[in-house]
Amino acid sequence: MTADEMAAVLVTVTGDESLLSAGISAQTQLERDLFLDSLDLAALGALLRDRYGAAVDLAGYLAGLDIDQLIGLTVGDLADYVEQFQ
Amino acid sequence: MVTLPLAGHANRAVALADALTARGHEVAWCGPEAYFRPLLGPEATVFGTGARLFRDQAGHGIAAVKSLWRQYVIPMARFTHPAVDQAVLEYRPDVLVVDQHALAGALVAERHGLPWATLVTQAMELTRPLAALPRVDAWVRGQLASLRPGSDDVVDLRFSPYLVIAFTTSALTGEQSFPGHYALVGPAVLERPGDFAWDLLDPARRKVLITVGTLATGLAADFYRRVAAAVGPLAGTVQAIIVGSPDLLPDPPGNVLVVPSVPMLALLPSLDVVVSHGGMNTVCEALAHGLPLILAPIRHDQPVVASQVAAAGAGIRVPFSRVRPDQLREALVKTLDDPSYRRAAMRIRDSFATASGAPAAADRLECLVQVAR
Repeated sequence: MTADEMAAVLVTVTGDESLLSAGISAQTQLERDLFLDSLDLAALGALLRDRYGAAVDLAGYLAGLDIDQLIGLTVGDLADYVEQFQ
Repeated sequence: MVTLPLAGHANRAVALADALTARGHEVAWCGPEAYFRPLLGPEATVFGTGARLFRDQAGHGIAAVKSLWRQYVIPMARFTHPAVDQAVLEYRPDVLVVDQHALAGALVAERHGLPWATLVTQAMELTRPLAALPRVDAWVRGQLASLRPGSDDVVDLRFSPYLVIAFTTSALTGEQSFPGHYALVGPAVLERPGDFAWDLLDPARRKVLITVGTLATGLAADFYRRVAAAVGPLAGTVQAIIVGSPDLLPDPPGNVLVVPSVPMLALLPSLDVVVSHGGMNTVCEALAHGLPLILAPIRHDQPVVASQVAAAGAGIRVPFSRVRPDQLREALVKTLDDPSYRRAAMRIRDSFATASGAPAAADRLECLVQVAR
Protein backbone atom coordinates (compact mmCIF):
# COMPACT_ATOMS: atom_id res chain seq x y z
CA MET A 1 0.00 0.00 0.00
CA THR A 2 1.29 3.47 -0.90
CA ALA A 3 0.98 6.61 1.19
CA ASP A 4 -1.46 7.99 -1.42
CA GLU A 5 -3.69 4.97 -1.04
CA MET A 6 -3.61 5.34 2.74
CA ALA A 7 -4.44 9.05 2.34
CA ALA A 8 -7.54 8.06 0.37
CA VAL A 9 -8.54 5.67 3.17
CA LEU A 10 -8.12 8.46 5.72
CA VAL A 11 -10.39 10.73 3.68
CA THR A 12 -13.05 8.01 3.77
CA VAL A 13 -12.68 7.60 7.53
CA THR A 14 -12.73 11.29 8.38
CA GLY A 15 -15.05 12.50 5.63
CA ASP A 16 -12.61 15.35 5.17
CA GLU A 17 -11.70 15.89 1.49
CA SER A 18 -9.41 18.76 2.40
CA LEU A 19 -6.92 16.23 3.74
CA LEU A 20 -5.98 15.43 0.14
CA SER A 21 -5.47 19.02 -0.94
CA ALA A 22 -3.34 19.57 2.18
CA GLY A 23 -0.82 17.23 0.56
CA ILE A 24 -0.39 13.99 2.49
CA SER A 25 2.96 12.23 2.18
CA ALA A 26 4.44 9.17 3.86
CA GLN A 27 5.99 11.52 6.45
CA THR A 28 2.69 13.21 7.40
CA GLN A 29 2.02 12.63 11.08
CA LEU A 30 -1.44 11.36 12.01
CA GLU A 31 -1.71 13.22 15.28
CA ARG A 32 0.24 16.44 14.76
CA ASP A 33 -0.59 17.09 11.09
CA LEU A 34 -3.97 15.41 10.59
CA PHE A 35 -5.41 15.78 14.12
CA LEU A 36 -6.56 12.16 14.10
CA ASP A 37 -7.82 11.07 17.50
CA SER A 38 -8.65 7.73 19.08
CA LEU A 39 -12.14 7.72 17.53
CA ASP A 40 -10.70 8.23 14.06
CA LEU A 41 -8.23 5.43 14.65
CA ALA A 42 -11.01 3.09 15.81
CA ALA A 43 -12.97 3.88 12.63
CA LEU A 44 -9.82 3.40 10.58
CA GLY A 45 -9.19 0.02 12.21
CA ALA A 46 -12.71 -1.16 11.33
CA LEU A 47 -12.37 -0.02 7.73
CA LEU A 48 -8.94 -1.63 7.25
CA ARG A 49 -10.25 -4.91 8.63
CA ASP A 50 -13.20 -4.83 6.23
CA ARG A 51 -11.00 -4.16 3.24
CA TYR A 52 -7.89 -6.19 3.96
CA GLY A 53 -9.11 -9.03 6.15
CA ALA A 54 -9.63 -9.93 9.79
CA ALA A 55 -5.88 -10.33 10.34
CA VAL A 56 -5.46 -6.54 10.13
CA ASP A 57 -5.41 -5.57 13.79
CA LEU A 58 -4.76 -1.85 14.01
CA ALA A 59 -5.58 -1.70 17.74
CA GLY A 60 -3.08 -4.48 18.36
CA TYR A 61 -0.45 -2.69 16.26
CA LEU A 62 -1.00 0.58 18.17
CA ALA A 63 -0.91 -1.27 21.52
CA GLY A 64 2.62 -2.38 20.64
CA LEU A 65 3.90 1.17 20.14
CA ASP A 66 5.51 3.29 22.83
CA ILE A 67 4.50 6.86 23.60
CA ASP A 68 6.94 8.52 21.20
CA GLN A 69 6.18 6.09 18.37
CA LEU A 70 2.49 6.87 18.79
CA ILE A 71 3.05 10.62 18.84
CA GLY A 72 5.19 10.43 15.69
CA LEU A 73 3.10 7.81 13.85
CA THR A 74 3.00 8.61 10.11
CA VAL A 75 0.83 7.79 7.13
CA GLY A 76 3.81 5.79 5.82
CA ASP A 77 3.95 3.70 9.02
CA LEU A 78 0.29 2.76 8.59
CA ALA A 79 0.74 1.99 4.88
CA ASP A 80 3.70 -0.27 5.73
CA TYR A 81 1.67 -2.05 8.39
CA VAL A 82 -1.22 -2.75 6.01
CA GLU A 83 1.18 -3.75 3.20
CA GLN A 84 2.01 -7.05 4.91
CA PHE A 85 -1.62 -8.18 4.58
CA GLN A 86 -1.95 -7.45 0.88
CA MET B 1 -6.47 20.19 50.88
CA VAL B 2 -3.68 19.79 48.39
CA THR B 3 -4.93 20.84 44.98
CA LEU B 4 -3.81 22.68 41.87
CA PRO B 5 -4.11 26.38 41.02
CA LEU B 6 -6.52 25.62 38.16
CA ALA B 7 -10.24 26.43 38.35
CA GLY B 8 -11.47 22.98 37.32
CA HIS B 9 -9.45 21.36 40.10
CA ALA B 10 -9.55 23.99 42.86
CA ASN B 11 -13.28 24.76 42.60
CA ARG B 12 -14.24 21.15 43.37
CA ALA B 13 -12.03 21.23 46.46
CA VAL B 14 -13.56 24.55 47.54
CA ALA B 15 -17.08 23.12 47.23
CA LEU B 16 -16.04 20.15 49.37
CA ALA B 17 -14.27 22.39 51.90
CA ASP B 18 -17.43 24.52 52.22
CA ALA B 19 -19.43 21.39 53.05
CA LEU B 20 -16.82 20.32 55.61
CA THR B 21 -16.56 23.68 57.39
CA ALA B 22 -20.38 23.89 57.50
CA ARG B 23 -20.20 20.67 59.57
CA GLY B 24 -17.68 22.18 61.96
CA HIS B 25 -14.49 20.70 60.50
CA GLU B 26 -11.35 22.70 60.02
CA VAL B 27 -9.77 22.91 56.57
CA ALA B 28 -6.30 24.16 55.65
CA TRP B 29 -4.96 24.60 52.14
CA CYS B 30 -1.68 23.95 50.48
CA GLY B 31 -0.95 25.77 47.23
CA PRO B 32 0.32 29.03 45.80
CA GLU B 33 -0.90 31.84 48.06
CA ALA B 34 -1.30 34.18 45.07
CA TYR B 35 -3.97 31.88 43.59
CA PHE B 36 -5.70 30.55 46.70
CA ARG B 37 -5.86 33.68 48.89
CA PRO B 38 -8.19 35.59 46.51
CA LEU B 39 -10.24 32.42 45.98
CA LEU B 40 -10.60 31.54 49.68
CA GLY B 41 -10.62 34.93 51.40
CA PRO B 42 -8.60 36.43 54.26
CA GLU B 43 -9.79 33.97 56.95
CA ALA B 44 -8.63 30.79 55.23
CA THR B 45 -5.54 28.92 56.43
CA VAL B 46 -3.22 28.70 53.44
CA PHE B 47 0.23 27.12 53.55
CA GLY B 48 1.93 28.70 50.56
CA THR B 49 3.90 26.51 48.22
CA GLY B 50 5.28 29.42 46.25
CA ALA B 51 4.28 29.90 42.66
CA ARG B 52 6.16 28.77 39.64
CA LEU B 53 5.34 29.42 36.04
CA PHE B 54 4.54 26.35 34.03
CA ARG B 55 4.32 26.43 30.29
CA ASP B 56 0.78 26.72 28.96
CA GLN B 57 -0.60 23.35 27.97
CA ALA B 58 -0.83 23.01 24.22
CA GLY B 59 -1.10 20.38 21.53
CA HIS B 60 -3.47 17.47 21.48
CA GLY B 61 -3.63 13.71 21.57
CA ILE B 62 -0.84 11.61 23.05
CA ALA B 63 1.62 14.49 22.71
CA ALA B 64 -0.55 16.51 25.09
CA VAL B 65 -0.67 13.60 27.55
CA LYS B 66 3.12 13.50 27.49
CA SER B 67 3.49 17.22 28.02
CA LEU B 68 0.88 17.24 30.81
CA TRP B 69 2.99 14.78 32.79
CA ARG B 70 6.43 16.00 31.82
CA GLN B 71 5.79 19.76 31.87
CA TYR B 72 3.20 20.03 34.61
CA VAL B 73 2.17 17.16 36.90
CA ILE B 74 5.64 15.83 37.71
CA PRO B 75 7.47 19.20 37.98
CA MET B 76 4.59 20.55 40.09
CA ALA B 77 4.85 17.58 42.46
CA ARG B 78 8.62 18.04 42.85
CA PHE B 79 8.37 21.80 43.27
CA THR B 80 5.60 21.74 45.93
CA HIS B 81 6.75 18.62 47.79
CA PRO B 82 8.91 20.37 50.46
CA ALA B 83 6.22 22.97 51.20
CA VAL B 84 3.47 20.34 51.51
CA ASP B 85 5.70 18.28 53.80
CA GLN B 86 6.34 21.32 56.02
CA ALA B 87 2.63 22.18 56.08
CA VAL B 88 1.74 18.68 57.28
CA LEU B 89 4.36 18.86 60.05
CA GLU B 90 3.01 22.20 61.23
CA TYR B 91 -0.72 21.67 60.83
CA ARG B 92 -0.93 17.97 61.76
CA PRO B 93 -4.08 17.15 59.78
CA ASP B 94 -6.20 14.05 60.46
CA VAL B 95 -6.52 13.44 56.75
CA LEU B 96 -5.13 14.83 53.49
CA VAL B 97 -7.41 15.49 50.56
CA VAL B 98 -5.34 15.38 47.40
CA ASP B 99 -6.28 16.28 43.85
CA GLN B 100 -5.53 13.35 41.55
CA HIS B 101 -2.88 15.40 39.73
CA ALA B 102 -1.46 17.17 42.83
CA LEU B 103 0.86 14.27 43.59
CA ALA B 104 2.94 16.03 46.27
CA GLY B 105 0.00 15.53 48.65
CA ALA B 106 -0.05 11.79 48.00
CA LEU B 107 3.75 11.53 48.42
CA VAL B 108 3.67 13.36 51.75
CA ALA B 109 0.66 11.44 53.10
CA GLU B 110 2.31 8.13 52.27
CA ARG B 111 5.60 9.22 53.85
CA HIS B 112 3.90 10.27 57.12
CA GLY B 113 1.54 7.29 57.13
CA LEU B 114 -1.49 9.60 57.09
CA PRO B 115 -4.82 8.59 55.57
CA TRP B 116 -5.52 10.47 52.38
CA ALA B 117 -8.30 10.80 49.84
CA THR B 118 -7.98 11.37 46.12
CA LEU B 119 -10.20 13.98 44.48
CA VAL B 120 -10.92 13.04 40.87
CA THR B 121 -11.69 16.36 39.19
CA GLN B 122 -11.08 15.34 35.56
CA ALA B 123 -11.68 12.22 33.49
CA MET B 124 -8.17 11.20 32.44
CA GLU B 125 -7.56 8.42 34.94
CA LEU B 126 -10.72 7.03 36.54
CA THR B 127 -11.94 4.81 33.69
CA ARG B 128 -8.36 3.98 32.60
CA PRO B 129 -8.79 5.31 29.06
CA LEU B 130 -5.13 4.53 28.31
CA ALA B 131 -5.59 0.80 28.92
CA ALA B 132 -5.82 0.23 25.16
CA LEU B 133 -2.30 1.64 24.81
CA PRO B 134 -0.38 -0.41 27.39
CA ARG B 135 2.99 1.12 26.61
CA VAL B 136 1.65 4.64 27.15
CA ASP B 137 0.05 3.45 30.38
CA ALA B 138 3.41 2.00 31.42
CA TRP B 139 5.11 5.29 30.56
CA VAL B 140 2.73 7.16 32.88
CA ARG B 141 3.48 4.64 35.64
CA GLY B 142 7.17 5.27 35.01
CA GLN B 143 6.59 8.98 35.51
CA LEU B 144 4.87 8.24 38.84
CA ALA B 145 7.67 5.92 39.89
CA SER B 146 10.24 8.66 39.15
CA LEU B 147 8.79 10.62 42.09
CA ARG B 148 9.76 7.83 44.49
CA PRO B 149 13.09 6.46 43.31
CA GLY B 150 14.09 3.26 45.08
CA SER B 151 10.62 2.71 46.49
CA ASP B 152 9.11 -0.69 45.76
CA ASP B 153 5.78 0.48 47.15
CA VAL B 154 2.89 -0.42 44.90
CA VAL B 155 0.59 2.48 45.84
CA ASP B 156 -0.56 4.29 42.70
CA LEU B 157 -0.30 7.96 43.65
CA ARG B 158 -3.30 8.74 41.43
CA PHE B 159 -5.63 6.53 43.46
CA SER B 160 -5.63 6.64 47.25
CA PRO B 161 -5.87 3.17 48.83
CA TYR B 162 -8.19 4.74 51.46
CA LEU B 163 -10.75 6.77 49.51
CA VAL B 164 -11.20 7.97 45.94
CA ILE B 165 -13.84 10.68 45.52
CA ALA B 166 -14.85 11.21 41.88
CA PHE B 167 -17.08 14.10 40.87
CA THR B 168 -19.05 12.09 38.33
CA THR B 169 -21.59 9.25 38.31
CA SER B 170 -21.96 5.90 36.58
CA ALA B 171 -24.51 7.55 34.27
CA LEU B 172 -21.39 9.05 32.66
CA THR B 173 -18.63 6.54 33.36
CA GLY B 174 -20.73 3.61 32.14
CA GLU B 175 -21.15 0.25 33.73
CA GLN B 176 -17.48 -0.17 34.67
CA SER B 177 -17.29 -1.27 38.31
CA PHE B 178 -14.97 0.29 40.86
CA PRO B 179 -13.53 -0.89 44.19
CA GLY B 180 -15.54 -0.20 47.34
CA HIS B 181 -13.34 2.69 48.42
CA TYR B 182 -14.26 4.60 45.26
CA ALA B 183 -17.15 7.06 45.75
CA LEU B 184 -18.76 8.52 42.63
CA VAL B 185 -20.48 11.49 44.25
CA GLY B 186 -21.55 13.54 41.22
CA PRO B 187 -20.37 17.07 40.47
CA ALA B 188 -19.72 19.60 43.23
CA VAL B 189 -20.71 22.91 41.76
CA LEU B 190 -19.35 26.29 42.77
CA GLU B 191 -20.94 29.52 41.56
CA ARG B 192 -18.59 31.99 39.89
CA PRO B 193 -19.78 35.57 39.66
CA GLY B 194 -20.16 37.31 36.31
CA ASP B 195 -22.31 39.98 34.69
CA PHE B 196 -24.71 39.44 31.87
CA ALA B 197 -26.97 41.68 29.81
CA TRP B 198 -30.13 39.64 30.32
CA ASP B 199 -32.22 41.91 28.10
CA LEU B 200 -30.25 40.72 25.06
CA LEU B 201 -31.77 37.23 25.37
CA ASP B 202 -34.73 36.66 23.08
CA PRO B 203 -37.34 34.54 24.89
CA ALA B 204 -38.91 33.52 21.57
CA ARG B 205 -35.80 31.74 20.26
CA ARG B 206 -33.97 28.70 21.52
CA LYS B 207 -30.60 29.41 23.02
CA VAL B 208 -27.22 27.80 22.51
CA LEU B 209 -24.18 28.62 24.62
CA ILE B 210 -20.76 28.09 23.05
CA THR B 211 -17.65 28.02 25.21
CA VAL B 212 -14.24 26.45 24.71
CA GLY B 213 -12.72 27.55 28.00
CA THR B 214 -9.40 29.31 28.12
CA LEU B 215 -7.96 28.17 24.82
CA ALA B 216 -5.20 29.67 22.80
CA THR B 217 -6.98 32.48 20.97
CA GLY B 218 -6.01 31.32 17.49
CA LEU B 219 -7.71 27.96 17.96
CA ALA B 220 -10.79 29.49 19.57
CA ALA B 221 -11.20 32.15 16.86
CA ASP B 222 -11.21 29.58 14.08
CA PHE B 223 -13.72 27.37 15.90
CA TYR B 224 -15.97 30.31 16.76
CA ARG B 225 -16.00 31.41 13.11
CA ARG B 226 -17.26 27.97 12.12
CA VAL B 227 -19.86 28.01 14.90
CA ALA B 228 -21.07 31.45 13.81
CA ALA B 229 -21.37 30.20 10.22
CA ALA B 230 -23.32 27.22 11.53
CA VAL B 231 -25.88 29.20 13.54
CA GLY B 232 -26.25 32.20 11.20
CA PRO B 233 -28.81 30.47 8.92
CA LEU B 234 -30.82 29.37 12.00
CA ALA B 235 -31.51 33.01 12.96
CA GLY B 236 -35.27 32.53 12.92
CA THR B 237 -35.26 29.99 15.72
CA VAL B 238 -31.87 30.01 17.44
CA GLN B 239 -29.88 32.57 19.37
CA ALA B 240 -26.23 31.80 20.15
CA ILE B 241 -24.12 33.13 22.99
CA ILE B 242 -20.38 32.72 22.42
CA VAL B 243 -18.13 33.11 25.46
CA GLY B 244 -14.91 34.75 24.38
CA SER B 245 -13.22 38.03 23.69
CA PRO B 246 -15.36 39.99 21.18
CA ASP B 247 -12.27 40.61 18.98
CA LEU B 248 -12.18 36.87 18.30
CA LEU B 249 -15.26 37.27 16.17
CA PRO B 250 -15.70 40.70 14.61
CA ASP B 251 -19.04 41.16 12.77
CA PRO B 252 -20.89 38.11 14.10
CA PRO B 253 -24.28 37.23 12.55
CA GLY B 254 -27.26 39.04 14.12
CA ASN B 255 -28.30 36.03 16.20
CA VAL B 256 -24.85 35.59 17.77
CA LEU B 257 -23.83 37.42 20.93
CA VAL B 258 -20.14 37.40 21.85
CA VAL B 259 -19.48 38.08 25.53
CA PRO B 260 -16.22 37.82 27.49
CA SER B 261 -17.75 35.82 30.35
CA VAL B 262 -21.10 34.59 31.63
CA PRO B 263 -22.57 33.77 35.05
CA MET B 264 -22.85 30.13 34.04
CA LEU B 265 -25.16 28.78 36.74
CA ALA B 266 -27.55 31.71 36.43
CA LEU B 267 -27.63 31.42 32.65
CA LEU B 268 -28.01 27.64 32.30
CA PRO B 269 -31.77 27.51 33.05
CA SER B 270 -32.37 29.76 30.02
CA LEU B 271 -30.41 27.55 27.62
CA ASP B 272 -31.34 24.64 25.33
CA VAL B 273 -27.97 23.25 24.20
CA VAL B 274 -24.33 23.83 25.18
CA VAL B 275 -21.43 23.57 22.72
CA SER B 276 -18.10 23.04 24.44
CA HIS B 277 -14.58 21.60 24.19
CA GLY B 278 -15.58 19.09 26.86
CA GLY B 279 -14.09 20.44 30.09
CA MET B 280 -15.57 18.58 33.06
CA ASN B 281 -16.87 21.78 34.69
CA THR B 282 -18.91 23.01 31.78
CA VAL B 283 -20.13 19.55 30.86
CA CYS B 284 -21.26 18.64 34.36
CA GLU B 285 -22.94 22.00 34.89
CA ALA B 286 -24.87 21.62 31.63
CA LEU B 287 -25.86 18.04 32.45
CA ALA B 288 -26.88 19.05 35.98
CA HIS B 289 -29.46 21.23 34.21
CA GLY B 290 -30.50 18.41 31.88
CA LEU B 291 -29.00 20.13 28.82
CA PRO B 292 -27.66 18.16 25.83
CA LEU B 293 -24.17 18.98 24.59
CA ILE B 294 -22.18 19.17 21.39
CA LEU B 295 -18.57 18.46 22.30
CA ALA B 296 -15.49 19.26 20.26
CA PRO B 297 -12.67 17.90 22.42
CA ILE B 298 -9.10 19.09 22.05
CA ARG B 299 -6.85 17.48 24.64
CA HIS B 300 -6.34 15.71 27.95
CA ASP B 301 -9.58 14.38 29.42
CA GLN B 302 -11.84 16.17 26.93
CA PRO B 303 -12.00 13.29 24.41
CA VAL B 304 -12.87 10.95 27.30
CA VAL B 305 -15.62 13.26 28.55
CA ALA B 306 -16.99 13.72 25.03
CA SER B 307 -17.11 9.97 24.44
CA GLN B 308 -18.87 9.41 27.77
CA VAL B 309 -21.53 12.01 26.98
CA ALA B 310 -22.06 10.62 23.47
CA ALA B 311 -22.24 7.03 24.78
CA ALA B 312 -24.85 8.13 27.33
CA GLY B 313 -26.91 9.60 24.47
CA ALA B 314 -26.77 13.10 25.96
CA GLY B 315 -24.82 14.73 23.18
CA ILE B 316 -22.82 14.56 19.98
CA ARG B 317 -19.05 14.47 19.67
CA VAL B 318 -17.52 16.35 16.72
CA PRO B 319 -13.85 16.71 15.70
CA PHE B 320 -12.65 20.11 16.94
CA SER B 321 -10.10 20.76 14.25
CA ARG B 322 -12.09 19.82 11.18
CA VAL B 323 -15.82 19.95 11.94
CA ARG B 324 -17.47 22.05 9.22
CA PRO B 325 -20.24 24.62 9.76
CA ASP B 326 -22.80 22.40 8.01
CA GLN B 327 -21.89 19.49 10.31
CA LEU B 328 -22.14 21.72 13.38
CA ARG B 329 -25.53 22.98 12.18
CA GLU B 330 -26.75 19.43 11.71
CA ALA B 331 -25.60 18.51 15.23
CA LEU B 332 -27.33 21.59 16.62
CA VAL B 333 -30.61 20.84 14.89
CA LYS B 334 -30.45 17.24 16.11
CA THR B 335 -29.78 18.09 19.75
CA LEU B 336 -32.46 20.80 19.66
CA ASP B 337 -35.16 18.77 17.88
CA ASP B 338 -34.58 15.15 18.86
CA PRO B 339 -35.91 14.77 22.41
CA SER B 340 -33.79 11.68 23.08
CA TYR B 341 -30.74 13.87 23.78
CA ARG B 342 -32.62 15.92 26.31
CA ARG B 343 -34.07 12.80 27.93
CA ALA B 344 -30.61 11.26 28.28
CA ALA B 345 -29.24 14.51 29.71
CA MET B 346 -32.10 14.55 32.22
CA ARG B 347 -31.29 10.98 33.28
CA ILE B 348 -27.75 12.13 34.04
CA ARG B 349 -29.12 15.19 35.83
CA ASP B 350 -31.19 12.87 38.04
CA SER B 351 -28.15 10.69 38.77
CA PHE B 352 -26.24 13.83 39.80
CA ALA B 353 -29.07 14.95 42.08
CA THR B 354 -29.20 11.53 43.74
CA ALA B 355 -25.42 11.43 44.19
CA SER B 356 -25.60 14.89 45.85
CA GLY B 357 -21.99 16.03 45.22
CA ALA B 358 -20.09 17.79 48.01
CA PRO B 359 -22.27 16.54 50.93
CA ALA B 360 -21.74 12.92 49.84
CA ALA B 361 -18.01 13.56 49.53
CA ALA B 362 -18.01 15.08 53.03
CA ASP B 363 -19.83 12.00 54.41
CA ARG B 364 -17.17 9.69 53.02
CA LEU B 365 -14.35 11.84 54.37
CA GLU B 366 -15.91 11.88 57.84
CA CYS B 367 -16.00 8.07 57.78
CA LEU B 368 -12.35 7.98 56.77
CA VAL B 369 -11.35 10.28 59.65
CA GLN B 370 -13.33 8.24 62.17
CA VAL B 371 -11.69 5.02 61.05
CA ALA B 372 -8.27 6.67 61.19
CA ARG B 373 -8.84 7.83 64.77
